[in-house]
Amino acid sequence: MRIPGYLKATAAALLLAGTSMSTAVQADDHEIKIGYAGGFTGYLAPYDQPSLKGVQLAVDQLNAAGGILGMQIELIVKDTRTDTAQSAVAAQELVDEGVVAMIVSCDVDPAVASGVIAQAAEIPAASSCASTPTLPDAVGPYMFSNYTADNLQAAVLASYAREQGYENAYILLSRDTPYTEKLPEYFAEAFQAMGGNLVAVGEYATGQQDFSAEVTKIKGLDPQPDVIQTAAYEPDFPAFIKQLRAAGIDTPVLGSDGIDSPTTFGLGDVAEGVVFSNAGFASPGSPLEAYEVAYEAKYGEPNDTVFTATGYDLMMVIAAAIEAAGSTDGPAIRDAWDNLENVEVATGLITYKDQNRVPVRVVALNMVSGGERVHVGDYSPDPSMIPAP
Amino acid sequence: MEIFVQQFINALALGGTYALLALGLAMVFSVLGLINFAHGELMTITGYAMFFAIAAGIPFPIAVILGIAAATLAAILMERIAFRPVRDANTATMLLTSFAVSTILHMLFQNLISARPKAIPVPDWMIGAINLGGLSIGVIQVMSITATTLLLLALTVFLRRSILGIAMRAASLDFPVTRLMGINANAVIATAFGISGLLAGVAGVLWLAQRGSVDPLMGFLPVLKAFIAVVLGGLGSLPGAVLGGFVLAFIEVSLRAFLPDDWLPFRESITLTLVIILLLVRPEGLLGRKDAVR
Amino acid sequence: MSEQGNLLAIEGLAVRYGAIEAVRNASLEVREGEIVTLLGANGAGKSSILNAVMGLVPVAEGRVVFEGQDVAGQPPERIVRRGMTLCPEGRHVFSNLTIAENLKIGAASRRDKSEAAATQADMLALFPILDERRDQLAGTLSGGEQQMLAIARAMMSQPKIVLLDEPSLGLAPQIVDTIFELIVRLRDRGATILLVEQNVDLALEIADRGYVLATGDIVLSGPAADLRGSGDVERAYMGSH
Ligand SMILES: Nc1ncnc2c1ncn2[C@@H]1O[C@H](COP(=O)(O)OP(=O)(O)OP(=O)(O)O)[C@@H](O)[C@H]1O
Ligand SMILES: [Mg+2]
Repeated sequence: MRIPGYLKATAAALLLAGTSMSTAVQADDHEIKIGYAGGFTGYLAPYDQPSLKGVQLAVDQLNAAGGILGMQIELIVKDTRTDTAQSAVAAQELVDEGVVAMIVSCDVDPAVASGVIAQAAEIPAASSCASTPTLPDAVGPYMFSNYTADNLQAAVLASYAREQGYENAYILLSRDTPYTEKLPEYFAEAFQAMGGNLVAVGEYATGQQDFSAEVTKIKGLDPQPDVIQTAAYEPDFPAFIKQLRAAGIDTPVLGSDGIDSPTTFGLGDVAEGVVFSNAGFASPGSPLEAYEVAYEAKYGEPNDTVFTATGYDLMMVIAAAIEAAGSTDGPAIRDAWDNLENVEVATGLITYKDQNRVPVRVVALNMVSGGERVHVGDYSPDPSMIPAP
Repeated sequence: MEIFVQQFINALALGGTYALLALGLAMVFSVLGLINFAHGELMTITGYAMFFAIAAGIPFPIAVILGIAAATLAAILMERIAFRPVRDANTATMLLTSFAVSTILHMLFQNLISARPKAIPVPDWMIGAINLGGLSIGVIQVMSITATTLLLLALTVFLRRSILGIAMRAASLDFPVTRLMGINANAVIATAFGISGLLAGVAGVLWLAQRGSVDPLMGFLPVLKAFIAVVLGGLGSLPGAVLGGFVLAFIEVSLRAFLPDDWLPFRESITLTLVIILLLVRPEGLLGRKDAVR
Repeated sequence: MSEQGNLLAIEGLAVRYGAIEAVRNASLEVREGEIVTLLGANGAGKSSILNAVMGLVPVAEGRVVFEGQDVAGQPPERIVRRGMTLCPEGRHVFSNLTIAENLKIGAASRRDKSEAAATQADMLALFPILDERRDQLAGTLSGGEQQMLAIARAMMSQPKIVLLDEPSLGLAPQIVDTIFELIVRLRDRGATILLVEQNVDLALEIADRGYVLATGDIVLSGPAADLRGSGDVERAYMGSH
């Protein structure tokens, strides 16, 4: 094949830039190795890249404060290119290089692929931001979740909807990802358990852009829903809400953390009043606000997504688990991790104890108002209200 | 009845965007025999050009023009830099080159701009709708239908009246003999890429106005749809590509609008099955070679 | 090597398709105002010579001297603009264009559009059948009509020399006669013609000189009158098989 030489060179350079990000420090006994096998290119890049930035900030801070157990942290980063097979390969490489804990991709399939390798090596691992509550059990006792679970967010959204007096709900889901499918289903389950009524379920395909058919259908519903819930995110959420509002439907819309992005706040009038859940709100004096300041200081630009903060949180959780274990032994870290309680991280407090490796953490509700984020409140729902995974 | 008319308009608007994309893809295919899988990245380039223009304080309408110009220029450069050196190689080489271009652009966007979506705020007037006796037609839908109509008319005039246009139709049938007419191969190919870039730019603006953001991978899905439309319409046929775009949109919108709820999860597979059935009935596509541009 | 007065001189031409050597060391000349015919059996390499001359296939060795300049390796569009054109084997009219459009594109290389219009009127006068059907798609024409269109289209560039590749291919004898009459008329109007043919008798009847090609080599050449009926041509044909 005759690809021009300079194209080859560019591709090679980019590949190198993508894969060899590991902090090349000579290993010695005074270092503790943490691995991150993430999708830094490919479709997970929008999530794993920000997570990595948060992880790196945490590593900087931890090392500046003396490291973990008195040892400096060496972060080894492998790009899986969002490829499931490569996720397993990268995890194996990390195991071979002697990491004591591992962060894996933001999505379920690659996270499982890496996770089973870590599980076999008895090295604890956690997905940076996969939110499917069944993920840890799909791998085994060495696999942890980090991010706010879908059923947790859904329960918070449902109880908020009932508080507002909404009776009839419409949910819009996409079966293309567990997140876009399950979260609205958990919402419907919780909403109905709290006495609400589900009017209809709409379906879309991720990336479909055109919601005219669905919107026309919503217009014809009887009874009309008084709340619409969806886990759609970019580019689907903006397209959906624009076409919904254009059709003259002003039913309140509840979204989830996927829409916590500058795009949503740039949508103008159509997004006004949209309420969405996420992992935390940077209210004045909160640890999240302090985090945002540190982030901007390190990267020279303001943080524009909560995924950096949850990446930071995860690194802090790993540090807490190792400190609590008092050793770098895998099983000891795992047990300590499983018993962590009220670890202070950027977004608030995280507890793993008695949660079957899916942490309880605060869920914040936010409203889009005048292109700004307004804090509705922080919620820690009663575990009995959370739909079973 | 009303709901049928509404869904018909919905399909027409979506079909317009598909048709523009498919036509661009078909244009390049007809002169080079290449399905340019980097075609979707031209839309992404429109998006980033608009993003940076708006960030620099340039008014929205001018940002739109810059976005379309950027896609056009990028298409011409793509041909000059990536495809011309492999023009005489076999089809597989060219196809792989187009994949390589697409991948390299993804990486450049992800690493030089951002892996996260960048917001493109659209003026509020574009988000409204026009109400016509119970029908609600979004402003973007009106723009889509208008832009498609105007572009198709302009392109038809170009293809029928100008020497270069006639040459492009001739080249779609027989490139070597077109060159025997004294037609410059580079001019024909560069024009085909330029037009495909222009069409992708316009489709990109319509697409971006709906989605409100640009991200590195946004071009993948539309180019896939356009590819289906091109095959459905008949590889190498320009009117076929347009027809394929509309047919695909009509199938998609009808299924989404009128399938019973229980069947909704299967709508994508039903769409593809219908496309395959159409291709079994007419293996050369709806307007195969013989009926190519008149 | 090139003689004075040659419009086109092919010198030591070789054409290869990978390992296949289709033409070896072929040389021939065409002087202004001549009809020269190039004869040979199927697969002898006639089309390969014409295509190489026009830049449609690469010249492996040798020179193609047109008006005193070596044009070997130049792209077809440039060669056409210099004043040499090819009416390809199998007609290759643009079936998806109308007859008028086929003629219009034939004149693409000409700057003066009013002169081109004059040539078009001229061609339509020469081929009345095309005039009648000018807005019809070329694909709907009969084989003979398509051949006329292909010749007319080639003439639209007002070439100094036109290479005709088997214009009689697949046509009924009556139509073949018409086509040959037309070729003579074109020459009478000042065109120079290199005619590739398998219809040996007719070709030698209208040609001034002839060459016979067998499996890539020129095996015989001379004035058409000498070749006509001498039996040498048949022997050259037979020898090649
Ligand atoms: N593109 C090609 N690739 C490979 N071989 C070719 C190609 N074109 C021609 N050939 C071979 O080169 C030889 C000469 O072919 P060419 O077409 O020049 O013969 P011809 O004299 O024009 O025959 P005909 O009278 O049948 O048209 C043949 O053996 C043919 O198979
Ligand atoms: Mg031949």
